[in-house]
Amino acid sequence: MPKGSLISDIGSMQLESPLILASGILDENGYTMRRMLEEGAAAVVTKSIGSTERAGFTPPVVVDLGDNLLNAIGLSNPGIEHFKEEISIAKGIGKPVIGSIFGATAEEFAYLASRMQSYGADAVELNLSCPHVKGFGSEVGSDPSLVEDIVSEVKAKINVPVLAKLTPNVTDIVSIAKAAEKADALVLINTVKAMHIDIYARMPTLSNAYGGLSGPAIKPIGVRAVYDVYRETEMDIIGCGGISRFEDVLEYMMAGARAVEIGTALKTYGRAIFDNIKRDTIRFLESEGIENIEEIIGAAVKK
Amino acid sequence: MIHAEIIRKEKLTPTVSTLYFHWNADVKPGQFVMVWAPGTGEIPMSLSHIGKEKAFTIKNYGPSSDMLIKLEPGQKIFFRGPYGRPFSAVNGKTLLIGGGSGMASLHPLISRNAFGLIAARTREEILFMDEFESGNVSVTTDDGTFGIRGNVLAGLKDLDVDSFDMIYACGPEVMLYNLYKHLKDKNVNAELSLERLMKCGIGVCDSCSINGFQLCRDGPTFTMDQLRYMNEFGTEKLTFSGTRVSVH
Ligand SMILES: Cc1cc2nc3c(=O)[nH]c(=O)nc-3n(C[C@H](O)[C@H](O)[C@H](O)COP(=O)(O)O)c2cc1C
Ligand code: FES
Repeated sequence: MPKGSLISDIGSMQLESPLILASGILDENGYTMRRMLEEGAAAVVTKSIGSTERAGFTPPVVVDLGDNLLNAIGLSNPGIEHFKEEISIAKGIGKPVIGSIFGATAEEFAYLASRMQSYGADAVELNLSCPHVKGFGSEVGSDPSLVEDIVSEVKAKINVPVLAKLTPNVTDIVSIAKAAEKADALVLINTVKAMHIDIYARMPTLSNAYGGLSGPAIKPIGVRAVYDVYRETEMDIIGCGGISRFEDVLEYMMAGARAVEIGTALKTYGRAIFDNIKRDTIRFLESEGIENIEEIIGAAVKK
Repeated sequence: MIHAEIIRKEKLTPTVSTLYFHWNADVKPGQFVMVWAPGTGEIPMSLSHIGKEKAFTIKNYGPSSDMLIKLEPGQKIFFRGPYGRPFSAVNGKTLLIGGGSGMASLHPLISRNAFGLIAARTREEILFMDEFESGNVSVTTDDGTFGIRGNVLAGLKDLDVDSFDMIYACGPEVMLYNLYKHLKDKNVNAELSLERLMKCGIGVCDSCSINGFQLCRDGPTFTMDQLRYMNEFGTEKLTFSGTRVSVH
């Protein structure tokens, strides 16, 4: 591996760096995903796709909290049958595209996963963690036996790596992680369930009232989740939540992450964030005399 | 969310009104805000007046704009912004081409050096015609009830587009695409302000994107050179759910 190399892998998926675009941020349109890959993301995760078309919630679907963000998009998506074209557009440049899916049952997840694989997705991410839609996401992902069924069913249907994205909105994330242990990797974490009230309108600002908090405010929650799961399991972990600088990437990696996903920081720093973090991380590794980025994975964790 | 009190309301046409309010912010021509109709929705809206007194010019076309247009002086409006890349400022002669309520975002650019080409469906819907110097405005209507009958291209026939230092345009995408095709091989400077669905306004949701550029952040104004590389412009867009459909 060349000095200062950031090459990374998740299961059979090779990544030119550990920096992946997170699900739901700038990844509905194939051309946008393609641009993110062209401008530095090592891979992109699509927004979460379900079996049928869903409009999602009426705006306001975001509350801008400076560097942080509250959102309740409501899993809007065109339905899996209409998503093939977006994947092929995104794949035009040859970098990995990870298909995110959501469903209510193990069978639904398995069906969506095999569609994603047939469209050419390089991996499938299971959204077991969206905090603001009834009957999906974290409601599914808080039930360990359902999580176990979903992961087993999906693993039996597809060959590409399966990533299980978990919610921090549970008492014990380690037990959910263990239930998902057949997955090739875990993604930790999705947003934290939250609310904002407009004091002049005297009502919640989001049309759905509840939303998910993302951005730097949740980074310590994500780092703690990665640390706990790394210590208690042997699973590969992708860190997510509040990453906006190279220091954040290293923090997650030292807690046990092999790669990271970045979402909300795109709002503040734009598409250049991937190249900027890459450059700064290489500088850090060089100045610390670290030959191989693998050395730092879990470096801060007492097993 | 910013909130302000409506100080004045002006009815411009049967379906269009301007709501004035005080907001101490530096806003440039072409920028927009996300306006919240509590309990109903949130929609992007260009600022038609950007001096000390700010205003939006609203046409009712859906539940949120319907609720906003009914607000009266003394009532509160809620919004966030300003967002988006403004039109660039130039010295010299300018041509402003506005279709429908697209004239609202061009309104701050009206000056003594500006020539207006206003495209409306019918006589009743013509906006801001009297604000141009006399002789500096030309109007087209689809039904021929005023000015030249036809679309914006009919209005361009009599104009020497090369003689302007800058062309600014705003309106429905199909109109802008026709304009783009008309101008693309001519030696002109032009900036087109696009209108697309916007859910977040801050560059995260991807609902407004066109070839990977976010209208709400990289736009809504784009130069002719930027548009040249956008094959989604004038052809395809995503619906509210994210389904790819034709722009036409
Ligand atoms: C606007 C928005 C939409 C999101 N949509 C999804 C989604 O569809 N599926 C999903 O698994 N996560 C979704 N997320 C969660 C992110 O992928 C990520 O887990 C979370 O935002 C934390 O990372 P960040 O702080 O870097 O944004 C969304 C987040 C935001 C801000
Ligand atoms: S409106 Fe959400 S990215 Fe532009």
